[in-house]
Amino acid sequence: MQVFSDLALGFATALEPFVFAMIVAGVFLGLIIGILPGLGGTSGVAILLPVSLFVAQQNPQDPTGAVALLAGIYWGALFGGVVTSILFNIPGEPWSVALLFDGFPMAKRLGQPGLALTLAFTSGLFGSLVAAVLFSFFAVPLSEIALRFGPAELFAVFMMAFATLVGLESGSPLKSIAMIMFGLLLAAVGFDTITGEPRLAFGQIGLLSGIGFIPVTIGLFGIGEILASAEEAGTSYERIAARLGLRDLLESLRQIRRRLGMLGVNTIVGFFIGVLPGTGATPASFLSYGVARQYAGEKERANFGKGEPAGIIAPQAAANAAGVGSLLPMITLGVPGSPTAAVIMAGLFVWGLNPGPLLFTEHRAFVWGLIASIYIGSLIAFVMCFFATPLFASIMRVPYAVITPIIVLASILGAYAVNNDMKDVGITIVFGVMGYWLRKMKYPLAPLVVALVLGDSTERELRKGLISSFGNPAVFLGFTESGFSPVAAALSVIAIGLFLLPLVQYVLRRRRTRAEELASELTE
Amino acid sequence: MRPYQIATAAVIVLIAAVAMFDTRSGALPDTSGGAPGGLRGGWYPFWSATVMSIAALVIAYRTLVTPQPASGVFKDRQGVVYVVRLVLPMIALVLLMAWPLGFYLSAALYSAWFAFAVGRYRWHWAAAMTVLIPVATYLLMEIAFKTALPRSIFFTMGLPF
Repeated sequence: MQVFSDLALGFATALEPFVFAMIVAGVFLGLIIGILPGLGGTSGVAILLPVSLFVAQQNPQDPTGAVALLAGIYWGALFGGVVTSILFNIPGEPWSVALLFDGFPMAKRLGQPGLALTLAFTSGLFGSLVAAVLFSFFAVPLSEIALRFGPAELFAVFMMAFATLVGLESGSPLKSIAMIMFGLLLAAVGFDTITGEPRLAFGQIGLLSGIGFIPVTIGLFGIGEILASAEEAGTSYERIAARLGLRDLLESLRQIRRRLGMLGVNTIVGFFIGVLPGTGATPASFLSYGVARQYAGEKERANFGKGEPAGIIAPQAAANAAGVGSLLPMITLGVPGSPTAAVIMAGLFVWGLNPGPLLFTEHRAFVWGLIASIYIGSLIAFVMCFFATPLFASIMRVPYAVITPIIVLASILGAYAVNNDMKDVGITIVFGVMGYWLRKMKYPLAPLVVALVLGDSTERELRKGLISSFGNPAVFLGFTESGFSPVAAALSVIAIGLFLLPLVQYVLRRRRTRAEELASELTE
Repeated sequence: MRPYQIATAAVIVLIAAVAMFDTRSGALPDTSGGAPGGLRGGWYPFWSATVMSIAALVIAYRTLVTPQPASGVFKDRQGVVYVVRLVLPMIALVLLMAWPLGFYLSAALYSAWFAFAVGRYRWHWAAAMTVLIPVATYLLMEIAFKTALPRSIFFTMGLPF
């Protein structure tokens, strides 16, 4: 098998002392970046690009060390975002937003921060390693499939993501729909992505740049949660003893073993979504959260949003798998699968490496070294996370009057640092108050954020599809100008089915209750 | 609960109505061939807002016709006080940050408020918190990550913050 000798070469490269040290340093930096809210993997890799240039200068013949540093940051950030999501209800990374729904409740309401963290780390490691194996074996064929995805197929994938959100959380599907539409509307603020005409800006220059999802998310989840918990608990802060050790690890392994099938499916789905250009880990985590909920048993589903283990396992495994997957089209085709992959690609250009199919033949050791760094980096990140978790969990014991200003200031910093713009800080505060109120009124917040994140891409694929078909909407059912696309048709049918599912369930439930009423009347 | 639910739905309808009004020119597909793919920029937000307002109207209707829990919206009076005590300083913090105090001075004031008024710590602990939080932020953001935060009006007078 060619793959094994290639991988052996890769491990030999990645385990060279200098390269290995760079991976370790990168993972450590990535964990810190992941833990800091608002400072994401993308901005982290971008900020540290100059540092990696300095590393590359130490060894101009071989830029592998520099790329290992950047890739290490990415692998670390995939894990680090977990911590703030679970302990503070502030997403450290966009792809950790889905962890808020069950991770935080498990840490706070069920009082199991250690288990919540180890569950996320362990499933993240599983996702990364499985994705690394998929990466090694299917690198070339998979990228060829993804390359054939057009607007119709991508639009159907986005629709699937939205469909799984309707009736997410046990609330009313109507409220989910209202929130999805609100998110799409917020995403549309600014310039039209296709024609460039301004819309919904109301003559305000600040609004032309659009409404970013990071300030909105930090507001809805970070500030909103602080306000909600202040009303519930006042100024006394819940102190959660962070028991963490082998017991938590064993318990999380047990939980994971019970859900191995679901985990495997979500990892593979996550990996493939990551491979699709322009998507990355964030939609993958949301989609698999929805999928996990949709396919959970009756009892489990009622537990979603209240600290259900599957609600932590599925999105984290998918996010890590997608993070790994997003590098695949970058390396094989030169098409970055995610914003972070795009920044790493910029790094490759700086060192004179042209991403694309030729990279596999011209720089074999480098490419396979990068692939081996996925295995090594993920393992290092996991070990670091596991041993540092008691430290992370002890943050929860800090008194209210100290931790609250720190969280508020961190939220403001996170919102500000994205674009160095005070407007974003204002957005965070406005959405903080809004999130507090919507939560009270039992509106689900996740659909709003997901729609805001995916809104632009969804519209772009919709309009691109219509442009390619000269305005004929049949293109989304697979009838493209170049012939019938069974993939687009199948994906669209699945998406439509998922949308109708809550309705069908509602009708069935009504019919059942009516039948039961009739039966009880008859027995009387 | 009912009046609050209906008021929330009404605000959602209002937001949607403003958006629909702003994008009304692109509401219908363009058959003249002038727009790429037959859709103008307003189509997508217009119909998102339309669906949003329909959903909110149905929510309001259902709130009227179905029984609502008798419990109030807020936990108790004290709970509202806690929330207001958190929101008002936060708004003050952001306004002062924009002008004239910048990040570091307003963060120090904000931390001091928590230490003295909420935590009621002894003065040396409170003073330590007031100083340490902005200093730690400075080291992290400006030194480690090379991100400049908003400065106060005193910055031009030669002060470092």
